[in-house]
Amino acid sequence: MSERMQTRLWQLLILASVLGAWEGLTRIPWFVANTPFDPFFISQPSRVAVRLVQWLQPGPQSVWPHLWLTLQATLWGLLVGVGSGFCVGLALGRSRRLAQVFNPFIVAFNSMPRIAFVPLITMFFGLGMASKVVTSWFVVFFLVFFNTYKGARSVEREMVDFCRTLGGSPRQIMFRVYMPTAAAWTFASLPNAISFALIGVVLAEFVGSTTGMGYLMTTALATLNATDMFASVTLLSAVGILLVNTITALERRLLHWSPEFRQ
Amino acid sequence: MISLRAVGRDYVSGAGTVHAVGHVDLDIAQGEFVSLVGPSGCGKSTLLNMIAGFITPTRGEIVVDGRAVQGRLPDALGYIFQKDTLLPWYTVSKNIALGLTFHGIRGQEADRRVARLLEMGNLQGFGQAYPHQLSGGMRRRVALLMSLAVEPRILLLDEPFGALDMHTRAHLHRELALLWRSLGQTVVMVTHDLDEAVLLSDRVIVLSGPPSRVLMQESISLPHPRDVFTVRETPAFAEHSRRIWHVLGEQFRALA
Repeated sequence: MSERMQTRLWQLLILASVLGAWEGLTRIPWFVANTPFDPFFISQPSRVAVRLVQWLQPGPQSVWPHLWLTLQATLWGLLVGVGSGFCVGLALGRSRRLAQVFNPFIVAFNSMPRIAFVPLITMFFGLGMASKVVTSWFVVFFLVFFNTYKGARSVEREMVDFCRTLGGSPRQIMFRVYMPTAAAWTFASLPNAISFALIGVVLAEFVGSTTGMGYLMTTALATLNATDMFASVTLLSAVGILLVNTITALERRLLHWSPEFRQ
Repeated sequence: MISLRAVGRDYVSGAGTVHAVGHVDLDIAQGEFVSLVGPSGCGKSTLLNMIAGFITPTRGEIVVDGRAVQGRLPDALGYIFQKDTLLPWYTVSKNIALGLTFHGIRGQEADRRVARLLEMGNLQGFGQAYPHQLSGGMRRRVALLMSLAVEPRILLLDEPFGALDMHTRAHLHRELALLWRSLGQTVVMVTHDLDEAVLLSDRVIVLSGPPSRVLMQESISLPHPRDVFTVRETPAFAEHSRRIWHVLGEQFRALA
């Protein structure tokens, strides 16, 4: 059996045993009565599965509109967050002067607990898509910014001087040296950026929204419905995994020259 | 023609002022191959960086082809760093074409020149390879070809073969000697390898420890073209090495 197959087998085995234990133990009356692990609180895999099947079918109970709105907000947040983080990171990484001027503000902004801003953002941008995207942007921006900034700073002086002797203008060196170097670092931050974007959107939906997965979760909380809660979490994880895999595939294609992807 | 007049460079640090380069007067003729040797920290690289215009001298003046450098890059200058300066995201061909792209030379003309350079560097068939697929010696050759693509009249080499094994180094010596013979650039090479300096140069300049000044200028009488493999065994080679070592070794002892 190939190593890859063995890894997959082990992964399946671990998943199956966790789900099996969860399902099996919550069906033993003695266990439920004498431990905190009551299906009322932690639900059961079978119930979650049934719920997911109901949700994924079209109809008034369908989860698709919520999932789609959350995904939409996440993608916009990512796009705006990664775009702005990359540009600002590159600009500050490129210019020592700008970096010196902005440094204290960036450190201050970054050390603020960003969650504390979510109510404020909701107050300002209302209960719709805008506040979700802004929250998501807010958390993604700094992550991408710092990575890109470090990437741009990591460009070696010799590389730049060498390109100058080849006749490169500052603009040409920007596009051919700084941007590719920084982009490699930006890509490294993207898996985290994706989860952060998703967290940001769900958080905004918790605080004030009448749509989205976060809204479903607060509703589940209000009705003490653990099954709905776990079903939501499962769907969000699936979305996260899907996005990360897409980005990793893209990264593998674009950064095939990087040591990380050498075969 | 490169001339340095009373050139000096200080570095101001927390501990005070460091006189890296004290007072250097030097004339390098068109088409001459000159090596700079000296104890480590003697400001050899600083001197080279000043000729390239990467850093400005604290004192004195540097004139390249009739124009004062003063922190501006001279025209038609090539500079090979000891560090790897290939762009890892481009193929060998695109790397070599980089300078051409900077100068707006594209398309067939660029392809033609890149093909000729690949041949010059014995790298035919490696055009589509990426830098990480090449050996250290090959990467050095690509860096040299990247520079040669823009047809420099002056080549500045900062310990270009420092990180290579002896075998690879010997082969690159031969190639550099051949290239220099056919292209006729003015070459200034900083090196810590005395054999390499004698082997390739018309003149070897020995610098003192900081604040550095020129201690000795040894003209190498070995006739060109030199066979880099056999010339090491000649008495003239040994005599030059001995004479330079006599001065250089004393510097090493003084700084030990």
